[in-house]
Amino acid sequence: MRIAVLLSAGLHPVSGAPVLPRIEAQAIRMGAGLGEVSDLFGLHAGPDAAAIAEALGQGLPRIEHVAVAAGDDPVPALAERLAACAPDIVLAGRRSQGGEESGLVPYALARTLSLPLVSDVVAAAAEDGALRLDQSLGRGALRRVRVQGPVVVTCHSDAPAPLAYAYGRARRGTVAALAAAAAAIPAPAVAVEERPYRRRPKVVKGAPTGGSAAERLKAATGESGAAASGRLLIQPDPEDAAREILAYLRQIGVLAAPAAPKT
Amino acid sequence: MSRPRRDPRAERAAHLTVGQGPRPRYDRTRRATGSGRLRRDPRAEREAQRVGGGARPRFDLSQVGRPMGEAVTAAPRAAPVAEAPKTVVVETPAFLVAVVPDAPGGRLSGHDRQVIGAARALAGREGAVAVIVDGDCEGLGAAGADRVLRLDGAEGYDPGGRAARVEAALAALDARHALFPESLDGGDCARRVAVSLGEALFTNAEVVAAKGLVRPARGRRVEQSLAPPRLATVAADAVAEYGGPPREARALPFEGSAPAETAKGIVSATRIPADPATVPLSLAEFVVSAGNGLTDLDTFRQVAAALHATPGASRVLCDAGLMPRHSQVGASGTVLAATCYFALGISGAPQHLQGVAGCEHVVAVNTDLHAAMIERAGLAVVQDAQAVMPALLRRLAEEAEQATAGGTS
Ligand SMILES: Cc1cc2nc3c(=O)[nH]c(=O)nc-3n(C[C@H](O)[C@H](O)[C@H](O)COP(=O)(O)OP(=O)(O)OC[C@H]3O[C@@H](n4cnc5c(N)ncnc54)[C@H](O)[C@@H]3O)c2cc1C
Ligand SMILES: Nc1ncnc2c1ncn2[C@@H]1O[C@H](COP(=O)(O)O)[C@@H](O)[C@H]1O
Repeated sequence: MRIAVLLSAGLHPVSGAPVLPRIEAQAIRMGAGLGEVSDLFGLHAGPDAAAIAEALGQGLPRIEHVAVAAGDDPVPALAERLAACAPDIVLAGRRSQGGEESGLVPYALARTLSLPLVSDVVAAAAEDGALRLDQSLGRGALRRVRVQGPVVVTCHSDAPAPLAYAYGRARRGTVAALAAAAAAIPAPAVAVEERPYRRRPKVVKGAPTGGSAAERLKAATGESGAAASGRLLIQPDPEDAAREILAYLRQIGVLAAPAAPKT
Repeated sequence: MSRPRRDPRAERAAHLTVGQGPRPRYDRTRRATGSGRLRRDPRAEREAQRVGGGARPRFDLSQVGRPMGEAVTAAPRAAPVAEAPKTVVVETPAFLVAVVPDAPGGRLSGHDRQVIGAARALAGREGAVAVIVDGDCEGLGAAGADRVLRLDGAEGYDPGGRAARVEAALAALDARHALFPESLDGGDCARRVAVSLGEALFTNAEVVAAKGLVRPARGRRVEQSLAPPRLATVAADAVAEYGGPPREARALPFEGSAPAETAKGIVSATRIPADPATVPLSLAEFVVSAGNGLTDLDTFRQVAAALHATPGASRVLCDAGLMPRHSQVGASGTVLAATCYFALGISGAPQHLQGVAGCEHVVAVNTDLHAAMIERAGLAVVQDAQAVMPALLRRLAEEAEQATAGGTS
């Protein structure tokens, strides 16, 4: 099985130094853990290969680097290379780190290569010819998808933690530079205006719109809503208490209704 | 400070002598009372400090020096007149703002409502918000939808097919803007639609206004703003929900001549619900928690299993080694994001309540009426948790028995 891991040139969110995004290191681990992998390699399109050499130490034996000028769209170059080597699985992160962070590259690639895309995968396993992917649905729920044939997979941050960095492996690995044959296409420029980030208060759930600061404080400390209009049962019979509790849990929808007796 | 405050104007007015020409004249030698000071009337002062009209007298001791003032009675808050809120109708909208909510299980999530609120802000008075839903969905008008476009809900996992249907609906609506929630499913759908339309997508917007959208970039070191683009996704908990009167939510006709494009390659998809016993506490939906008031932890574990809840504990039990450390709820344990928290025998120390601050519903069982947990709870039961737990188990077992008995007969 041939697996390509897409590596972007990430920047550290605090220091701004070049770094391999954690999610792509997790993708590398996911690929390496698939078993019977004949060829696992990283693929990067960008002006500089030095930024992604760190990925060798995370478990990649080799990296292919397609030279693309800074500011150009990496998708055509990546698509061309992937079409040429036809990997069975293309692994990518769900968002890059340090750039636009739009997460559009895997989708654009899947579209160009007309491959199915399964997003936000936390675990992958090969299963008699097919691929079993566990997709995160949030709150610990999963969707188990079986896929036949080549597929683009984006990795979710709940996936297993990346492998430890190994210096020896980083020394042994190789970075192969490839020339891009595809015509350079500048990325579609969107006239955005940039300024330093300003932290904004999160919306307080349960506070009325346009309410006063006191109301927002009440909502934030949980004194409004359910708590303010709460019911208090003093020394009820335990059986009554149990009935009330179950009714309340069902009313808010965290407990399934009792299976209705079929008649 | 029991000395009453002087009122120079009133004193001067008291010295005014009446009559005698056009100019006011004052008799500075006249005294209101015997001594130089005004005489205090403690009873009147006390009476002036009385607040409210309740049966039990309450005094506001911070009010001083108003000896003659009338008692301050809190004006009874005008109870909101329960007039039927009028439905707002936009008859001929100047433009449409489309919203594609996740609406899991036919109900809008909080995030969905925020996105509709954002769309409402974009639409303003002239525009209309058109919500594109899969199958049926409730509560759209109250959330701020002017129009509703219903797609035929497809069974199974087919994100490509859904994106194609949404794309067709957007083309049919000719919407000026389309907003998606930046959630797992919504973000996926938005990117598929954007790539398929070949248009730019403004992701993860944190501010949505008619002036422009703002999103963080480069690891939140800069923010980018743009005049409202055609396609955008909206971050969670960044934009307020729509708070105005209900909207019309008029159904729009739409014949979904969606391309019957099956997702090639995807053989099967099954949903695996989170296993409450193993799901990390921070992700759990429903947490049942034990505190120092419980002695019978075996029964507690049975209750947690029977309610399909994730077990948690207060620090006291974790320190004592009675519950695993990873089940500790609170400031030095896990901060929950659960929908419901069920506390058994927990006093509700501030460090513990911090972990529960995000929970929407709290149920508490405690023998102490004055415990902080009882105050925080939406349903509070002052009773021995040791007695309530077996009662809960009995009731659940009874219900299960009835269901199976009914099913076999
Ligand atoms: C720095 C710091 C960090 C901390 N972090 C945390 C944290 O992360 N999480 C945490 O939980 N605590 C934390 N604590 C500890 C916290 O302050 C409290 O000590 C702890 O939460 C109390 O736990 P409890 O409510 O289970 O016990 P108690 O305070 O002993 O309360 C027991 C309650 O059970 C009731 N009760 C007794 N018998 C029964 C019965 N038969 N039926 C029903 N109710 C009964 C009692 O009325 C009482 O209200 C922290 C403390 C410090 C100093
Ligand atoms: N220039 C690039 N070369 C290779 N892979 C990339 C490149 N840019 C992005 N990717 C991949 O696409 C994912 C999402 O990136 P983005 O769309 O930029 O958020 C990243 O996690 C990478 O796996």
